Amino acid sequence: MPKQPLLEINELKTHFHTERGRVTAVDGVTFHVNEGEILGVVGESGCGKSVTSQSILRLFDEKRLAQYDGEIKLKGTNLLELSDEKMQSIRGNDIAMIFQDPLSSLNPVFTIGHQIAESILLHQNVSKKEAYEKAVEMLRLTGIPAPEKRVKEYPHELSGGMRQRVMIAIALSCEPQLLIADEPTTALDVTIQAQILDLIVEINKKLNMGVIFITHDLGVVAEICTRVVVMYLGQIVEEANVVDVFENPLHPYTRGLMKSVPQIDGDRSEKLHVIEGTVPALDNIPKGCRFATRCPFADELCVEKVPELREFKNGQKARCWHAEKIAEEDQEREDQYV
Amino acid sequence: MGTVESNVGLTSVKQKLKKEQRQLFFKRLISNKLMVTGGMTILFLMIVTLIGPFLVSHDPYEMVVQDRLQAPSAEHLLGTDEFGRDLLSRIIHGSKVTMGVGFSVAAITSLLGMIIGLYASYYRFLDHILMRICDGLMSIPAILLGIALMAALGPNTKNVIIALSIVFTPHVARVIRSAAIVVREQTYIEAMKAQGASTWRIIWGHMMPNTISPLVVQATFIFADAIITEAALSFLGAGVPAPDPSWGNILYDGKLVIFNAWWMTVFPGIMIVLSVLGLNLLGDGLRDLIDPHTNQGKK
Repeated sequence: MPKQPLLEINELKTHFHTERGRVTAVDGVTFHVNEGEILGVVGESGCGKSVTSQSILRLFDEKRLAQYDGEIKLKGTNLLELSDEKMQSIRGNDIAMIFQDPLSSLNPVFTIGHQIAESILLHQNVSKKEAYEKAVEMLRLTGIPAPEKRVKEYPHELSGGMRQRVMIAIALSCEPQLLIADEPTTALDVTIQAQILDLIVEINKKLNMGVIFITHDLGVVAEICTRVVVMYLGQIVEEANVVDVFENPLHPYTRGLMKSVPQIDGDRSEKLHVIEGTVPALDNIPKGCRFATRCPFADELCVEKVPELREFKNGQKARCWHAEKIAEEDQEREDQYV
Repeated sequence: MGTVESNVGLTSVKQKLKKEQRQLFFKRLISNKLMVTGGMTILFLMIVTLIGPFLVSHDPYEMVVQDRLQAPSAEHLLGTDEFGRDLLSRIIHGSKVTMGVGFSVAAITSLLGMIIGLYASYYRFLDHILMRICDGLMSIPAILLGIALMAALGPNTKNVIIALSIVFTPHVARVIRSAAIVVREQTYIEAMKAQGASTWRIIWGHMMPNTISPLVVQATFIFADAIITEAALSFLGAGVPAPDPSWGNILYDGKLVIFNAWWMTVFPGIMIVLSVLGLNLLGDGLRDLIDPHTNQGKK
């Protein structure tokens, strides 16, 4: 029996009103997250990962700056149709978010206990004392030693990793169904990174919570995610199980990303693979395939016509005219080696 | 087990560190001699203002015509004015008016400036409207605007406070706005929004506490400015009306008899200088204490 998706995003578009006119940062994104699943969202800087995640919570100023189209359904309710008050009660309570920079995600003038308790008091009808006790409990859950003492400390007294744990404690304090982690480990060093990842996986299993994990680190994706969405310039270019993405990526962009990962046992004299060029500006989007300007497989068809997201075996989806050809080539090369 | 023990060790080390930090802060506080001097002066003036009126022997309003314009003596420590009123008790009662006006103006402008500054920083469309109004008010010299407002409102102490609050609120609003704009862009504000906090809570619960320190500094300077502007208004006859004593209108009275009775201009003048100097030294010190960039050059 297929699981009911926790979050379904259909043709989400996020437009921004800027001085240079209307810009569409997220352009028709469709994906879903199941309960208890960790979905990886991958892409280079400026591809719309963060905008997508913040659109889910409707964090942009809708009066002046942003406009959303499409559907974001959390267990059947379309978040884009909710009133501001309803949306406020969803934020933090049903969907919580962890940010990239733990050093500036906590208010310097309050103790961390105060800040965790505040989030609890926002959504739950409990006394201040109970909220504080819960705060201690949440800190213990995130593996902070001596939480009874830590709650009285200010953010500047904690290290980056500790602060990210506090952020996770705040995010989990109301037991959300969905956690959005926006590059939560990017600002941390590698050992702390591993601890935080372990923590997220552990909590994901313990609470059966859906997680959207946004990152540009493919190693992390391989480590913790079950499914992966690859984004390029505001669109999804590939969606697949984590194994398929790594074993036979269908989109040239995904292949480029894979090749750009340095191999620890590889030939060190070999230069690291680089995807040529940069992401085009949002107000200067190519007419055909958005990746055509940087793609080694691009031909006239790619420049002229926009490819659709097509489904292949194992539910793998890719937005490329030449996906079959690429897959065949891969197959041939593998055969040669055998 | 090991971690538990090391945690206990860690906390005691931390407590020690905190104690040291507190000591260090205190040391830095008193190492700034000018600020301590300013603070002591203000403290002294506050005490004079609060308990002085109960200690003076003469009624500040009682006119004894045969004693008019007496030089300082044992009976009248600072002499008497042209109506034979005791100058010392007039100055001490005047400090109630002057310091009261200064303090009220500092408090009211802080509150209003805070509200205006915070909302202007959060809502862009309000920003344009409120800041243009502030620009307009700030483009007129404080004294001129004060005189105009006093002319419109009529002379009494309450109106002096209202007029000066209108004059100085834009200054506070500007400072708060610039501090709040920085805070608004911090991730923790976005994180609070993502946690489901209302706009009210974000503005008052999270942005406001981060603007307190620049506000305290600014309020100290406004206090000083208000004292000097009140004195100027009273000196020009547009401030606190007679017979209520204020340092400014004692000066005004003294102006007419400056060649016969120097004490009537010198003593209120000294009080104004002391209070304004004290407040400015305190404000400078507080600013240095809060802003680490200006610290290093000092030592």
